[in-house]
Amino acid sequence: MLKTEELQINIGPQHPSTHGVFRMLVTVDGETVTDLKPVFGYLHRNHEQIAEVNTYLQNMPYTDRLDYFNAMANNQAYAMAVEKMVGIEVPERAEYLRVLMVELTRILNHAGALGFLINDMGAWQTQLAFGMREREKILDLFESVSGARLMCNYFRFGGVARDLPPDFMPRLKDLLVAMPAFVDEMERLLRENEILLQRSEGIGILPKDLALAYSVTGPVLRGSGVAYDIRRAEPYSIYDRLDFDIPVGSVGDVYDRILVRIEEMRQSRRIIEQVIAQLPDAQGGHINPKARQNVRPPVGDVYARVETPKGELGFYLVSDGSSKPYRYKVRAPSFINLTPLGDMCRGYKVADMVVILGSIDIVMGEVDR
Amino acid sequence: MQDVVNQVINTSFGWGWPSWAIALIGYLIVAAILFGIAPFQMLFLTLYERRAIARMQDRIGPNRVGPEGAFQPLADGVKIFTKEDIVPAAADQWVHFIAPCVVVAPTMFMFAVLPWGPGMVPVDMNLGLLFFFAISSVSAVGLMMAGWASSNKFALVGAMRAVAQMVSYEIPAVLSLLAIVMVTGSLSIVELINYQGGLFISTRDVASVPDWGLGWFIFSPVGFLAFIAFFIAALAEGERTPFDIPEADSEIVAGYMTEYSGMKFGLFYLAQYVLNFLLCAITSIIFFGGWQGPGVGWLYAQAITPANLQGDWIFNVLAGVLGVFYFLLKTYGFFFVMVWIRGAYARLRIDQLMDFGWKFLIPLTLVNIFSAAIWVGLTKWGAADGLAFVEGWSPLMRWAVAFAVTLILNLGAYLFLARIFAQSQDERTRQDDEVLEQLTNVA
Amino acid sequence: MTIEMQRGSVIVMDRRRGKLRAGQGLLQGLKVVWDHWAGSFRTNDNFSKIHGTFTVEYPDERLPMPQAYRNMPVLLFDDESGHELCTGCYQCQRICPPQVIHITQAKDPVTGKMVPAATEFIIEYDACMSCGFCAEVCPFDSIKMDHVYELSTADRVSLTMRKTQLNRPISYYTGIAPDLWAEAQAGAMKKLQGSIKRRPDVIGLAASLTEKIKARRLELAAAGQVAGGGGQEAGVAPAAPAAKLTPEEKAAKLAAMKAAKQAGGAPAPAEAPVELSPADAKAAKLAAIKAANAAKQAGAAPAEAPVELSPADAKAAKLAAIKAANAAKQAGAVPAPVEVPSTPLDAKAARLAAIKAANAAKQAAEQSNNE
Repeated sequence: MLKTEELQINIGPQHPSTHGVFRMLVTVDGETVTDLKPVFGYLHRNHEQIAEVNTYLQNMPYTDRLDYFNAMANNQAYAMAVEKMVGIEVPERAEYLRVLMVELTRILNHAGALGFLINDMGAWQTQLAFGMREREKILDLFESVSGARLMCNYFRFGGVARDLPPDFMPRLKDLLVAMPAFVDEMERLLRENEILLQRSEGIGILPKDLALAYSVTGPVLRGSGVAYDIRRAEPYSIYDRLDFDIPVGSVGDVYDRILVRIEEMRQSRRIIEQVIAQLPDAQGGHINPKARQNVRPPVGDVYARVETPKGELGFYLVSDGSSKPYRYKVRAPSFINLTPLGDMCRGYKVADMVVILGSIDIVMGEVDR
Repeated sequence: MQDVVNQVINTSFGWGWPSWAIALIGYLIVAAILFGIAPFQMLFLTLYERRAIARMQDRIGPNRVGPEGAFQPLADGVKIFTKEDIVPAAADQWVHFIAPCVVVAPTMFMFAVLPWGPGMVPVDMNLGLLFFFAISSVSAVGLMMAGWASSNKFALVGAMRAVAQMVSYEIPAVLSLLAIVMVTGSLSIVELINYQGGLFISTRDVASVPDWGLGWFIFSPVGFLAFIAFFIAALAEGERTPFDIPEADSEIVAGYMTEYSGMKFGLFYLAQYVLNFLLCAITSIIFFGGWQGPGVGWLYAQAITPANLQGDWIFNVLAGVLGVFYFLLKTYGFFFVMVWIRGAYARLRIDQLMDFGWKFLIPLTLVNIFSAAIWVGLTKWGAADGLAFVEGWSPLMRWAVAFAVTLILNLGAYLFLARIFAQSQDERTRQDDEVLEQLTNVA
Repeated sequence: MTIEMQRGSVIVMDRRRGKLRAGQGLLQGLKVVWDHWAGSFRTNDNFSKIHGTFTVEYPDERLPMPQAYRNMPVLLFDDESGHELCTGCYQCQRICPPQVIHITQAKDPVTGKMVPAATEFIIEYDACMSCGFCAEVCPFDSIKMDHVYELSTADRVSLTMRKTQLNRPISYYTGIAPDLWAEAQAGAMKKLQGSIKRRPDVIGLAASLTEKIKARRLELAAAGQVAGGGGQEAGVAPAAPAAKLTPEEKAAKLAAMKAAKQAGGAPAPAEAPVELSPADAKAAKLAAIKAANAAKQAGAAPAEAPVELSPADAKAAKLAAIKAANAAKQAGAVPAPVEVPSTPLDAKAARLAAIKAANAAKQAAEQSNNE
């Protein structure tokens, strides 16, 4: 045998496939990764500290900037935390609107995430372009209802900022017509393709016990075969009235994560259809008329969590009775899902490492905060 | 070209120059034309690729510079010319400088044996095919030089990958061509094209077939399998998706080109796109008859050729135009397929690429060579060669039997190898699990 | 394999192992991409389609913006009167998460009192996060989110927008968001009328119009058509300062009349002050006198009300009112002549005084009736 020498490579922070400014300190033996240390913090924006000098409402647009793919889901988590603290009732209609927006977010996140994942595998943007096309449609809807495409800032304590505009429902129904075709197409591109199977099957296996030990959540955890979804485990909002299935994987590799994401898009579409059917009967307006914008929660702390497309997003707030949070902590799913990266990559090739990182579906804005 | 020069200088002007001077002038003119055409191909192909792949992605593509973006490559060229040329301080200056030249030069050489139309070949070498592939592998040296001289880890990894890939995919490419060479019995590219007259069946196999210029090798099982294998190998040679591993941007930034900028970077791109054009061209020549197509053969028969000195020059022009048209149509068609594949697939991993090349493509091409032998025996051999039972069959019958036998053989081999290969991949996956377990336990 | 649970189940994804993989997946992928290539020569303009080009060639064509679209905040002013809707209430400055709004409240040049208008309104566009809170909290519907998104400049300073750069007519906003303005219009215009009444001179007028008005006024003054500095005839701004005084006076008068009526039972016809120009002072005086009179008439002895009102201002007016009230309350003291300031008073103070006096007189009347 020839003597081989280990080589240390810095993948990032300026690297095309690290999904932002993220550094992986990789030790490679030939093409095999023998060690990997994720290094983050390059995008630290002092989010939590800023939140402590803002009033509760002023933090709402900052939560958009956490995971900028899923602004609506972030808003929901934060709004729920403050509502729980102050005890604001959310009208039924507002809850339906919230669920509608969050499930649309889930579709757009998965469409984008799968596209980026295939890009990491080396495809030349096509799958990403298809995903982005559907994402654009959803963003158009978000824009018409909230005024912005990404930084929606749509949720308020006690409801949502405004009701649906008149042209929203017809466009949404058109979108739902296109959605099965899009998901089927994505599945045809991803599921049977021999090259993708080679690149994803058996790659980046995260065993069930290890996933639980790292407290991973979201599609990564479900891909490892744990049927844990906060929408079912601790039903919030109106999820206990909606029918949907939880897809889980069996092996815990990249392929399982792809399959779980594809199926979650289908389930989200199912939820949206139920919401459209039930929305006209929902009571109340889009916002609780008694809800004040300037809240002063009683002294105490609260933790509220939701199932965002990336996993469990939780907000832990401590109030000292003033109009500003005393402590504001984000449990960011991307951050926690990223921690087992070293264990997932060890023993695979350099090319797999990039794919595994892509399959976790991180957004650095949320990881570094 | 030399006969034209000879005609002009010695016959029209009556200067009586020696033949070496005539040959020199003729080759210089041809070389000048080719050096003009090669970068033009690159410019055109970049635009073509961008527009085509944009359509596949429901976009429009570059359409701002000039009508329908026609001058976009020129704008890119101006930009790349005016960019600063950065050489890393730690780089080996001279090797870093020479590497792009070493990569570009072979691709230019390869034009020397490429026939564009009937009678339009710079040099009709009787070893043309061998020359083409021998020269094409020289650029691997340039890639290695580039990667090594850059003194960058990504560049080094990229160069290693590039060389490994090029060297391993030369083998299936040449093996698949070997089957065709066995059928034609010649390594001359011109002879290869001439063999492909006919209609679905080559006139050389069955003389009674009308010559529509459609007796391409792709219509025989041997040729079809060789085409598949060769085209896959060509994708790897030309570093196209799914084999663009040496410059996998999501892994190793830009591979061996990482530390290059300005026109040196442009030269790598030039070499790559010219190589892609040449690979598409050679695919269309070997398997799709090159300039062969309905009408070209008939037109060329009326033209002035060494065989027919009483022809009309207008038929030379017509046959040339139609031939070049067919040739470029097929070539750009193959480039579209390359773009199409790039639009549809992800990239393989380097070890999977090696697996695929050595464990699947090479056995497949070996089986194909066996099929080619059967084909040659059934269609050409007689009692003298030991195949007495085919003597009574008509040429069409012999062709049909050869077709059926080779089809069954090739299809069976393909399905068998696909299954074997898939199983071997599964086993490899499980091995990786064990490696992971070991490594996790150690750590 | 599925696990049933309430309202759904857990599906274990089928990995489709054991199928022969001989390239059919690759061909499927090619098919999908081919369909898109072939379909791309048509335009995809409908949400229900997944094929077709959906590119919008941006500088040539633009997507229509939804009405709710928010980019950067702007300030609205009324097309007809030229008055800004903004009153400088600081609501937006307070809510702004990145703290980029800076307001200077307008002051009356004569009295130094706050006027419901902003003299300067700065938004730092470069740091604005387009959250739309300012537009949401604005009680006067003055700040609205603009749809213009091409704001790039070569330097940061030019993104610090002053009030002149922020001002947009309401007609501009109805052009970009007709439905949203229709919702807000009634309330906003009503509140604007209220603000206009309390704005002296050209304060609160859109800067672009202020210059025009001033020029026009000078012109008219030169022509000798304007008496007393009034701007009614200016035409450009119908709500002119002089005209604005009238309602204040009326209020004072009314209050005085009411006080007199209730206190005495014998209504004294209130004379309307005819000379209008320094009217506030007179109104206040009148109110005080009337109140005192009313108290007297109620059968009580008016109290002596010592007053020093020489630095006549709002305080003095208030004092006068309080004294009058005290006098009425004491009901039995000798009425003293109430001296009133002759300098122009703040309208507000005058009204306040009148109202207080009226209340006091009412109480006094009630007391005496009970007795």
